[in-house]
Amino acid sequence: MLILLVEDDEPLATATAAALEAQGWRVDISPRGEPVPLSLQRDDYDVLVLDIGLPGIDGIETLRRVRDQGLRLPVLMLTARDTLEERVHGLEVGADDYLVKPFSPVELVARLRALTRRHENRRAEVLSVGELRFDIKAMRARVRDEAIRLSARECVLLQYLMTKAGRVVPREQLFALMPGWNGATSDNALELLVSRLRAKVEPAQVRLRTVRGLGYLLEAVEEPAQGP
Amino acid sequence: MNAPGWLARGGLQRTLLAWLILPLLVLVPLSAAVVYRLAVRPALDGLDRALTDTAVALTGILVVRGGEVSLPLSEQTMHALRADLVDQVAFAVGNPRGDLLGGDETLLLQKPPLLPGQWLFFDTQLRGQAMRVAAYGADCGGTGQVCSILVAESLGKRQDAERAVALAALAAATMLAASLCLLSLLAVRRGLRPLQRASEEIASRSLQRLEPIAPDAVPHEAASFVHALNDLFARLRVAASAQRAFVEDAAHQLRTPLATLLVESSQLLSRPHAAELQPTLTRLHAAAERGAHLTQQLLTLARAEGARLEAGGPQADVDLAAIGLDAANEWLRPSLAANQDLGFDLQPARVWGQALLLREMMGNLVHNAIQHAGHDVRVTVRTRSDAHTVTVEVEDDGQGVPGDELDRVWDRFRRGSSAMGSGTGLGLAIVRDIARLHGGEASLHPGTAGRGVLARVTLPAAGATRGQAVNKLS
Repeated sequence: MLILLVEDDEPLATATAAALEAQGWRVDISPRGEPVPLSLQRDDYDVLVLDIGLPGIDGIETLRRVRDQGLRLPVLMLTARDTLEERVHGLEVGADDYLVKPFSPVELVARLRALTRRHENRRAEVLSVGELRFDIKAMRARVRDEAIRLSARECVLLQYLMTKAGRVVPREQLFALMPGWNGATSDNALELLVSRLRAKVEPAQVRLRTVRGLGYLLEAVEEPAQGP
Repeated sequence: MNAPGWLARGGLQRTLLAWLILPLLVLVPLSAAVVYRLAVRPALDGLDRALTDTAVALTGILVVRGGEVSLPLSEQTMHALRADLVDQVAFAVGNPRGDLLGGDETLLLQKPPLLPGQWLFFDTQLRGQAMRVAAYGADCGGTGQVCSILVAESLGKRQDAERAVALAALAAATMLAASLCLLSLLAVRRGLRPLQRASEEIASRSLQRLEPIAPDAVPHEAASFVHALNDLFARLRVAASAQRAFVEDAAHQLRTPLATLLVESSQLLSRPHAAELQPTLTRLHAAAERGAHLTQQLLTLARAEGARLEAGGPQADVDLAAIGLDAANEWLRPSLAANQDLGFDLQPARVWGQALLLREMMGNLVHNAIQHAGHDVRVTVRTRSDAHTVTVEVEDDGQGVPGDELDRVWDRFRRGSSAMGSGTGLGLAIVRDIARLHGGEASLHPGTAGRGVLARVTLPAAGATRGQAVNKLS
């Protein structure tokens, strides 16, 4: 994965780049925002990590210029100022996620993984979480090379959970997928559906958690990340 | 702040009223006395004149014949002369030699020396009774022959007249005093009302509300004082926003090196390294994490102070249930790492306030539970509301906090005796600060099932007390 890191603080840029490179990713560093749109056009970056507080044009203006050029790659903003306006502002101008400094490199790596996966899943015909693959066209799931037999409802549920992998999906959103489902009686039906699905997918290095009172969370079982 | 003594509401009013009303205590009786003196004189003179009428009538009856004076007084005339409804009347007529011609001999003994045609009035005692006497020197035949005619009357009518005049003077004075008191009271009240309003305005100013007081709302005597206050307010507002700016800059400056420290230390740990370095690196990394956490907490605390100081701030109708839903991902990570069951019961709970601070408040409650409850426990986040109150609860069924520590954990930098992990001791202090900033309160209780801790924050609900919350914040 090729990452463009825009950060003016040289020690932080170097340390962050080292942490990302330890994942086997390649990182280019730019201390300023002005050259970013050109760099993105010249090289095929997978993700942009953009500090908001930059000398010259700031991160938000940089992002605006990037999006104005029609560049759709995922962008993660870094900020030392976590006031709400800036969070909202950052996401409004087209950032996909943000991290408030000081962040842990583990968190940064996890966010970047989720971001690129989401981005790929959005475009891809095959969703991927852990060793679980889901072919959207064929509506078919497999673990490694083994197909999993799923009911129609399980298919709909799994596809939705995979597009939202790593985040809690509220029950209400899942009810909306099931025509005629709502209310307390459907709670049990959904729990039953999820537990059947859980048994089928958990061998694939994924975990389908119940978040009590809220919904469900599908995530890859993170191994100690070494290499790509 | 303390209002200066002269502006203290009761003080100024009391002083003015004292200056207006205390003199009345002297002036009103004095004026009553003057009125009495002036009014009683003509009344008594009138009564004296009535006595002279009788004397004149007696003079008309005197007969001078050949140097001898006589008083041919019939019984009926005598009776008529003495007739009076109220008083006893006596008379005496004496010839120039001083012998009694008619009437009361005792009275004649009181006769003063009289010149012809002279009137004299005096008070005397007649058989033990106080009497008013009119004496007349009547010219009776020949040069220098003066007959004495005395008419006496007891003091009943005079006393009645004096009493009536005194009563009238007293009534007039009382009415005057009452209306003056009432008018002073009204005038002082009315005159001070703008000042009282200004004083209330000043009292309602707090570090949250520092807008200027309109100078035209106070009498011009107080305008310079109000101007001075407004200047002070302006300086305070400037100081508040300078503090806010400083906090923001400090955030930026502090966070970037901390981020470097955190990234480097965790990189060192994840790379192959000599075994003897492991404890050092672990401590270094833990210190970096704690520094990062502490910075965040201090900034939140400073920001809450800033919100207290600064008028306005980003106010909104915030649903705490939505914050819970939104932050669930963030909270789940450390909870899952500690193998805890983090659950939610989020009912709509709308408050009026600052979303970012409320989110930090809930995050601190949850992280506090996650950190202190221990492994393999249930942590439950609840939000709910009734007509007036919004409640946030975070309950765990972990090891709990000893009862005598439940109140003290709210103090800044205080950590429970069983505290673990990278706590800064600020989390709960921040929760309480933010709760109070929004007009609410935070409390800690033993868990409902007899285990663990139940942390509860109650805030005024958005619809119910919106105006109040706005006042507190802006």
